Amino acid sequence: METTTRAQGQARERAELAALDDATLREALLRMHLIRKFEEAAEASYMRGLVHGTMHLSIGQEASAVGAVLPLEPHDYILSTHRGHGHCIAKGADPSRMLAEFFGKETGYCHGRGGSMHIADVEGGNLGANGIVAGGLPIAVGVGMSIRMQKLARVCVVFFGDGASNEGAFHESLNLASIWRLPIVFLCENNKYGMSMDIAKAMAVPNVADRASAYAMPGATIDGNDLPAVVDASKRAVARARRGDGPSLVECKTYRLRGHSKSDRNLYRTKEEIETWRAADPIARLARELEASGRFDASTLAAIEEAATRRIDEALAFARTSPEPDPAQVTRDVYAQ
Amino acid sequence: MPSDVVPAMRELSYAEAIREALGQAMERDDRVFLFGEDVGIYGGAFGVSGDLVHRFGSERVIDTPISELGLAGAAVGAALTGMRPVLEIQFSDFMTLAMEQIVNQAAKIHYMFGGKASVPMVVRLPGGSGTGAAAQHSQSLEAWFAHVPGLKVVQPSTPHDAKGLLLAAIDDPNPVLVFEHKLLYKSRGPVPADDYRVPIGIAAVRREGRDITIVAASVMVVRAQAAAERLAVEGIDAEVIDLRSLRPIDFATIRASVRKTHRLLVVYEGVRTMGIGAEIAADIAGSDAFDFLDAPIARLGAAESPVPYNPVLEKASVPQEDDIVRAARRLVREGEA
Amino acid sequence: MAVEVVLPKVDMDMETGVIAAWRVAEGDVVRQGDVLFEMETDKALMDVEAPGSGRIRGLAPVDGEPIAVGTPVAWIDVADEGDAVAESVSASSGVPEVAPAARSVAAIAPASPIAADADERTQAVGIRATPLARATARESGIALEAVAGSGPRGRIGAADVAQHHARAASQPSPADRLVPFDPVRRTIAQRLAQSVREAPHFFMTAHVDMGALVAALDAHRAAAATTTRASVTAALVYLVSRTLVDHPMLNASVDGDAARLHRHAHIGIAMDRDGDLVVPVIRRAASRTFDDTVRELGRLREAIASHALAPSELRGATFTISNLGMYGVDAFTAIINPPESAILAVGRIVDTPVGRDGRVVLRPMATLTLSADHRIIDGTAAARFMADLRRAIEDARALA
Repeated sequence: METTTRAQGQARERAELAALDDATLREALLRMHLIRKFEEAAEASYMRGLVHGTMHLSIGQEASAVGAVLPLEPHDYILSTHRGHGHCIAKGADPSRMLAEFFGKETGYCHGRGGSMHIADVEGGNLGANGIVAGGLPIAVGVGMSIRMQKLARVCVVFFGDGASNEGAFHESLNLASIWRLPIVFLCENNKYGMSMDIAKAMAVPNVADRASAYAMPGATIDGNDLPAVVDASKRAVARARRGDGPSLVECKTYRLRGHSKSDRNLYRTKEEIETWRAADPIARLARELEASGRFDASTLAAIEEAATRRIDEALAFARTSPEPDPAQVTRDVYAQ
Repeated sequence: MPSDVVPAMRELSYAEAIREALGQAMERDDRVFLFGEDVGIYGGAFGVSGDLVHRFGSERVIDTPISELGLAGAAVGAALTGMRPVLEIQFSDFMTLAMEQIVNQAAKIHYMFGGKASVPMVVRLPGGSGTGAAAQHSQSLEAWFAHVPGLKVVQPSTPHDAKGLLLAAIDDPNPVLVFEHKLLYKSRGPVPADDYRVPIGIAAVRREGRDITIVAASVMVVRAQAAAERLAVEGIDAEVIDLRSLRPIDFATIRASVRKTHRLLVVYEGVRTMGIGAEIAADIAGSDAFDFLDAPIARLGAAESPVPYNPVLEKASVPQEDDIVRAARRLVREGEA
Repeated sequence: MAVEVVLPKVDMDMETGVIAAWRVAEGDVVRQGDVLFEMETDKALMDVEAPGSGRIRGLAPVDGEPIAVGTPVAWIDVADEGDAVAESVSASSGVPEVAPAARSVAAIAPASPIAADADERTQAVGIRATPLARATARESGIALEAVAGSGPRGRIGAADVAQHHARAASQPSPADRLVPFDPVRRTIAQRLAQSVREAPHFFMTAHVDMGALVAALDAHRAAAATTTRASVTAALVYLVSRTLVDHPMLNASVDGDAARLHRHAHIGIAMDRDGDLVVPVIRRAASRTFDDTVRELGRLREAIASHALAPSELRGATFTISNLGMYGVDAFTAIINPPESAILAVGRIVDTPVGRDGRVVLRPMATLTLSADHRIIDGTAAARFMADLRRAIEDARALA
């Protein structure tokens, strides 16, 4: 079991930053911006009444999403959560089709049938966001079995939250993955709260990764808002899985700056807490570090952000002008032919 | 052999027929594998898997921990990524532990993802009462799953159908639940040696008749056929229909039969209230076959209680051959349901 | 795709209609809205229009037979598939559209047999019967009220209907012969039963001296301009029609809450054809000369005998004369033919002792009995008519 303090993190950070080349960092930052802009655009659209239902925003969690996915190949799999827009974009999904899905349009990834919580980009290796807490964990076990049986050199990263680690499915899945040495990375985004339940009150141990030893797999708790640290931990877990050495549990400690869903009034946490974490905004942190270390100058950083903004604007326009599905087709695709 | 000599078809037990289906499927298709509790070295709790582990190895006939939810999810994940898993849940009652993955994931993924992904998995479920296994190991819950769009549900009543329906289920790109009946495992019947299918969604007329239509599934078909022979002696000519599929139900065959006989009795082992008999009665009452009814529609189902332990009570809690005879006689002679 | 042309139901209680004449021929190309045939109902002659455009075939024969409403009487092969679909006609359900105009209607079929039987169902409310029993009863024309149910709570099952049907059809003695109604007999039975049910009949008798009439007929025959022998019936047609001019209420029909006074007197003459009652009609009898009347009557008799009578010649009577004198009948009362309001029954002419000028003399007397519908004809109105008729007959100087 590993934990990093802030100070150690500072030293590690530089080495971990050095391990990443410029192209990779540019891509990572772009993706983080894309996620941020995407979430903000989705939020604004929701407030304008353009989005049905609700949505679970991951603003503030961009580093754990992008960092976890960065070491993956295109054919590797991810399984995501109800708070999965970031995972989806990190894995290379098209923001236009994602937003169209939120708008319920026929051009969305799921033709408007799935919505925000069930976004999937199967060709891109994203086997779907999941509306059931811990729903993806047993599925990941099956994906791992499938990879082994087909003798593919692939890995499956399954995201889940702190709350999910108290579901029976979590325990069954880690046990099964361990006894069968499945190529899975169990990636926990511990953002401190279920919906309103503080994880400290909900969980018997202080860190989710403390549970790894119960299932005979390595566990790591890291600063989930530190992109290079997340990449580093993810790389190691992915490599282990690809080697055939089995699963790992990686816990990214992070924070969601918005409520659980759009109806959350944040009664369970303080404004101070939110502000403290806002100061630890992963995108700002990375940008500062990149500038401080001389990797990118201010205008490059601005250009990256600008590119993200443009892309999301395009996505919005696409989503707005896309057609609605035909009600007569409501039972289409219930069964595969 | 001279062409006019037809070799008598060999007989297998229902359990042997299922084993043969699994063996033939695994031979022909590397993607098919069997997993579940005690299916390997033990040969299956009801002796169904037998020696399959010796023929195909422990990587394809996999013994698992007791983790129904995890296993159901694993079946989903494996099916999602190119395999054709067959999961044996030791008692159909334990589907209650797997509900989340079966109902929220397996049944819905194809639809939620806009037709992009499919879940070609099979779950085999020994179910039903009569072995003294008492309330938590004797239920008939197939109606719950017949209520879920996205699932297919079948119930073979003969060894021939046990093999043919299982092979059809393995071929089907959708999640298929196969409810086997514990009391039928030792029943014997002709089973062709070749690789054949019994199509899902087609009922079988087991006995033609003119006076009353008796629709039944699973072990109730056997009881209904025996009842029909007794009814024939007293001048009531019963038509016995074996449903074979509960989702989808072959309403066309039932309607055609009712148009001919004018009387309908549905016999099933699930609890009578809200069971499949209710669905069939409603379909007939709402279809053109209504005009041909000459008596109310009768249903025989299990009692409104958990399955009792005491053998006399256990028998009394589900329809038996005598009950079918009495109900048919009452419907034909008195016109009462 | 073929579009059905059905015999349309145009009146609420209409069950059958008769094709009077086709206006198109087999194989003609017709356009939607063209008049295809004339249909006779109890009320009037109606034009039936084409429900679609195309080539018409399979024209039903014009034989005066009543045809059930909704029965296809021809088919139109629609040329263009698209048009056929737009006209939304299917073989089983008929044509739903087109608003009927005053005298012409497009072919409209009932949507389903069940809709056509709505009256029967409302009558049957409160009767327990299985769906099969109801369907069987409907098809066999059996009223459920008449069936005894043997099921629980008196429920009528299919077996009960079948038993009822068999019992109704079975005869008291094996020697009896069952002669099922043909359409004509059925119509007669229905109409006359209806007449007796609905029209309050009263009867008025006059013993009339036919001497002058007979003499005039003899004179006419001698000077015969017609090849046909003038008969007493012809003379009565001539005289009754002129008398009706002054007694319009006897040449009228009950129409809802009103009496419809017919403009012309079309006199029906009850005749026998092969044991069936047929009533050919002499139209506008009051306008015809006596010769014309004789000719027309002769033509009708021949047409009846040779089965060449057009259906239109059997419809539209406003007053009927029934003469059974040739059978030796002294007197009888006749049932009014609906929708007429009166009928004159004529007995044989027989030399009868009557008192004249204080002495008993033998005169050729006939008993005329008028049946009249008391809804619109009162006793005195009938009496006046009979008085005028008697005068006309007894005064028959010349039948011109």
